[in-house]
Amino acid sequence: MKRRRFLKLTAGAGAAAGSGLCALCLDLEALQDPSNLSRVEARFYDKLPDREIECRLCPRLCKLGDKERGYCGVRENIGGTYYTLVYGKACIVQTDPIEKKPFFHYLPSSSTLSLATAGCNVNCKFCQNWEISQVRPEQIRHFDFPPAAAVQAARSQDCPVIAYTYSEPIVFFEYMYDTSVAARAAGLRNVVITGGHTKPEPLQELLKVVDAVKVDLKAFTQDFYTQYVRGELQPVLDAIKVIAQSGVWLEIVYLVIPSLNDRPEDFGNMSRWLLQSVGPEVPIHFSRFYPAYLMQNLPPTPVSTLENAYRIAREEGLRYVYVGNVPGHKGESTYCPRCETRVIHREGFTVRDIRIRDGCCASCRQVIPGIWD
Amino acid sequence: MSQSRVVMVKTRGAFSTDGMLDAKRVQAMLQRGIGLLGEHGRWQDTLGAYFRSRDIIGLKINTIGGKAISTRPELAESFARLLTAGGFPADNIVIWDRTNRELREAGYSLRMNRAGLKVYGTNSRGVGYGSRLVAHRNVGSLFSAIQERIVTASVSLAILKDHGMAGVTAGMKNYFGAIHNPNKYHDNHCDPFVAEVFETPLIRDKHRLSIIDALRVQYHRGPAYHARWAEPAQTLIFSTDPVAADFTGWRLIEQLRAGAGLPTLEEEARYPDYILTAARMGLGRARSKDIRLIVEEI
Repeated sequence: MKRRRFLKLTAGAGAAAGSGLCALCLDLEALQDPSNLSRVEARFYDKLPDREIECRLCPRLCKLGDKERGYCGVRENIGGTYYTLVYGKACIVQTDPIEKKPFFHYLPSSSTLSLATAGCNVNCKFCQNWEISQVRPEQIRHFDFPPAAAVQAARSQDCPVIAYTYSEPIVFFEYMYDTSVAARAAGLRNVVITGGHTKPEPLQELLKVVDAVKVDLKAFTQDFYTQYVRGELQPVLDAIKVIAQSGVWLEIVYLVIPSLNDRPEDFGNMSRWLLQSVGPEVPIHFSRFYPAYLMQNLPPTPVSTLENAYRIAREEGLRYVYVGNVPGHKGESTYCPRCETRVIHREGFTVRDIRIRDGCCASCRQVIPGIWD
Repeated sequence: MSQSRVVMVKTRGAFSTDGMLDAKRVQAMLQRGIGLLGEHGRWQDTLGAYFRSRDIIGLKINTIGGKAISTRPELAESFARLLTAGGFPADNIVIWDRTNRELREAGYSLRMNRAGLKVYGTNSRGVGYGSRLVAHRNVGSLFSAIQERIVTASVSLAILKDHGMAGVTAGMKNYFGAIHNPNKYHDNHCDPFVAEVFETPLIRDKHRLSIIDALRVQYHRGPAYHARWAEPAQTLIFSTDPVAADFTGWRLIEQLRAGAGLPTLEEEARYPDYILTAARMGLGRARSKDIRLIVEEI
């Protein structure tokens, strides 16, 4: 009989997860030597003279000499060819409710098979998953989990959805893409949880094979992105527009951090931009910050600040606004914008009740946008 | 304030026609360079001033460039022998870098659990990175357990190279190999990150000496090896001032570039500002008038 065990999350991801996780059983024998990285040629790069390359995956456009790695830490120039080191090298595999991502208008109460590899193309000082996102793949335990294994695991765990999450899926683009193709062929769906810090070309390619994207819009000022994210805001805004135009389901999360991105004008500016750029029906989640990584000196976000953001966004005309990371708050639920009936009652990651019929409010027949089945 | 002393020892014929390095010549360069760094000219006295008898001495080398353009094993091993001859037990000397694979590829023989000199990487079994996240200014990193808890005194035994992002890589940037996430600190020509990593107590408080391997210098298109722009400069640079040592290495790279008709690093928009930032932070000197450069040819 094979030894089996529950593969546990790293501490960081555990913090993000809150509680009530359902971990996936995996064979210990599948665990590999941590130095056993993949060497699959990357997409979206240009070969330059003298064995140099330029990566076109994200706005950083890393220009790398032989043996150098990109900012993400998971793509390496080896002799003038650029490789992904994490193809099929998952460091987290587990099942989560889709509400944890959060997706509130996409197959409510579905289970997702959540996958992550090491690596990220930004360096948020408040990252809750830094133990996987801010490390190189050889620095954490990972295991061989190729696309076919992911699809098989999702089916065996009764997960209709595979979620690419926890770190930054864009940096494991090739793995995510191939897994998504295989998942679709098996009748499964794919959702992506991303910071949106990407170039349009890979994003457009990805949108052909995935079904929903949640973008973490970390603030609405370049100054914040410079100081606390080490990235650029504009490419994220561009990505949001591209996703919205593609027809792939889109939700936005804004992590509200006390004193850094919690000014009423931040909420107002962002809400107006969303209204103008992607319309009033894209759900926006204002999530509560808890101290993490390099930002241990700030308190958790006061609930009143989240409620203020909620109020401002609603007043600006956004119809589906949520308060996140405050279990039991009424702002976790979905309300019909016409009759104000609570059409989805949520408590934490649990869906208590759904009063949506054929995509409409069960009381007044108002269309509630989303993918409901 | 007195000047920072930097010793540059040059030689000829360090390399044989087949590219092998003359270890005896390197040993002589080390003895001379270390000797000139001290007040009395005797390398034994100088080493005695830098290290305590019970120190665990880490020789942080840079092996990312493989055999062609890494800190030469002959140099690291010669310096380890010099330390031993100076009274520091070989058991207490560790030649190290990030990974065992890179060490092997650069020509080092691993030695971890045997008596005598140790040679191993951070990724060796039972080593790894510390669990304590060190946050310092803009830097947040886990440090190699070798730097964090094994060694008590540290030498940056770095290779001198042109660097596509940093401009120059030398003694201070060598310590990027002591953190788990150097890829996060190459923005903005590594400024101020090289200086800030060096300034962390785990580095600054243990650092005793920079010895920069300029025996063969990649002066263009680095940090990868390109034979066309690799000059056998046959030089070693020594200083207890990490900034002055790097500044001197940078000057050497500019000289080699000029000699080859290449633009300056500034003209290529790769000015190594981090060296000047380190000086402003008080980590050392980065102006010629603040540096007493002693050039010796043997």
